[in-house]
Amino acid sequence: MKTLYLDYSKCIGCGTCEAVCKFIYRTPRIIMTRTSYGLHVPLYCQHCDNPKCMRVCIRKAIFQDDQGVVRLREEVCRTCDSKNCLMACPYVAMMCTGGDNPVTKCDMCVTRAGLGPACAAMCPCDALHYVDRTEMASLETEASQKAYERVRKYIICPDCSAPAL
Amino acid sequence: MNFTFLCNTPPPKNGRKVAIIGAGPSGLAAAGYLACMGYKVEVYDKLPKAGGLMIFGIPGHRIPDVNIDEAVKKLQNDYGVEFRLCTKICGSEPMHEEAGDQFVLTYKSLGGRVEDNDAVLISTGTWKSRRLNLPGADLPGVYSGLEFLFPVRAAGYNISGVKAPDIKGKKIAVIGAGFTAVDVAHLALAQGAEKVYLVYRRTRNEAPCGTLEVSMLEKSGAICHELASPVRITGEDRVQGIELARCRLAQADDTGRCRPLVCDGELFNLEVDIVVGAIGEIAAPPFAHDLGLENVRKGQVRWLQMTNIDSVFVAGDALTGPSRVGSAVYSGLKAAQSLDQWLTLKAENRLNEYKGELIKNTDLP
Repeated sequence: MKTLYLDYSKCIGCGTCEAVCKFIYRTPRIIMTRTSYGLHVPLYCQHCDNPKCMRVCIRKAIFQDDQGVVRLREEVCRTCDSKNCLMACPYVAMMCTGGDNPVTKCDMCVTRAGLGPACAAMCPCDALHYVDRTEMASLETEASQKAYERVRKYIICPDCSAPAL
Repeated sequence: MNFTFLCNTPPPKNGRKVAIIGAGPSGLAAAGYLACMGYKVEVYDKLPKAGGLMIFGIPGHRIPDVNIDEAVKKLQNDYGVEFRLCTKICGSEPMHEEAGDQFVLTYKSLGGRVEDNDAVLISTGTWKSRRLNLPGADLPGVYSGLEFLFPVRAAGYNISGVKAPDIKGKKIAVIGAGFTAVDVAHLALAQGAEKVYLVYRRTRNEAPCGTLEVSMLEKSGAICHELASPVRITGEDRVQGIELARCRLAQADDTGRCRPLVCDGELFNLEVDIVVGAIGEIAAPPFAHDLGLENVRKGQVRWLQMTNIDSVFVAGDALTGPSRVGSAVYSGLKAAQSLDQWLTLKAENRLNEYKGELIKNTDLP
């Protein structure tokens, strides 16, 4: 099962991932953010094993396909007025569109006929990878783990003092 | 990085030819899109290597050269994109001198590109730096961020005729706290500068690069002067020092600007040999007047991102002013898509059907 892996130590916040996603889907499904401390944190779907968005969806519009990709049935989603998924996702990865289909999310470009996620293909920093879940550990480095910890700490408590280097 | 992320294999050729001027993120993204649509693409750049500021501006520890090189090779080898490097394209307007001109071996005209191709895309970026507006700013030893970074990167490629500033053992003041300033400071430290000062008129909390970058810079040995603004650069025939005034962040006022800045504090001096003003770039599109770029920006044109000249499109920083790699990529892709639609409809004699309909506000930069 393949998924996206992000090395926070390599991300420079250039926004190429968001740009190509926006080009293909109009509403980007990966959004570059930056903390006041200066960490670059792209928000995107982690395709959880036990997705909270799926559990809270009253219309059963969110489902996991046989590859483990958490996907959205847009025509079903359209009739929902609760939008519980927006609040439930701990990764802020459900995106409002402002259009007829109120919500959109990453589907790892499954509709792009085997081309794979465009964001990972275009990342100039080699920070975003499309890999098998079993390979993720082998991509980790001391720097990536440290950067991940910094991001995690910041997200848990943005008002706490800046984490040490 | 893979500029042909929209296709798996090269498609059959569609018989159309496009010239792209500028091999930065915007031009290369457009080249990838058009190659995937079957176009024959020629990319011109004044520099000896494709990649633009991803190679010659942003340091290798942020964007590794190899990522760009491999992506360019793929365009070249698998998709037949031709690169005409060390070649500058000129319009009818007088040229101004800018960083990178020393590499140019061939000059060609924009008119010739328009004649020889079905369409042309201009994605030449931002090459003009904002200058420090201070007494002494014209002394030898005063650089803009790009003037300082660029030759050092270029000298790394053993390109003759490039004189990198002599940094070893020198004391350097960098004005600004954006990513360019941080990159200049890191580079100066790496090249053996004796002292590197980062001078910023606000505090690290307001620094555009963020507090993390400032802390990392200090850890590498730079000295940060916050709340200090340059007043003048001193020296007889070269830079010998810089005079700074203490600033304070005043209370919020009625204008709504949250922290106005007042620089009326005590004056102090730093003894330096080099001053680098990394205070931003400004868009310097060639042939801006010929092309009517202001109207393109506002969308007051017949076709998205098409200029005054039929079949000439524009994208990236040349159109929008300095931005991030991502915005440049997006703009390049949009221009390439618009260019392809325009040529397709033109071939079918259907351009009139779509007059003015295709430009939506959401498409504008």
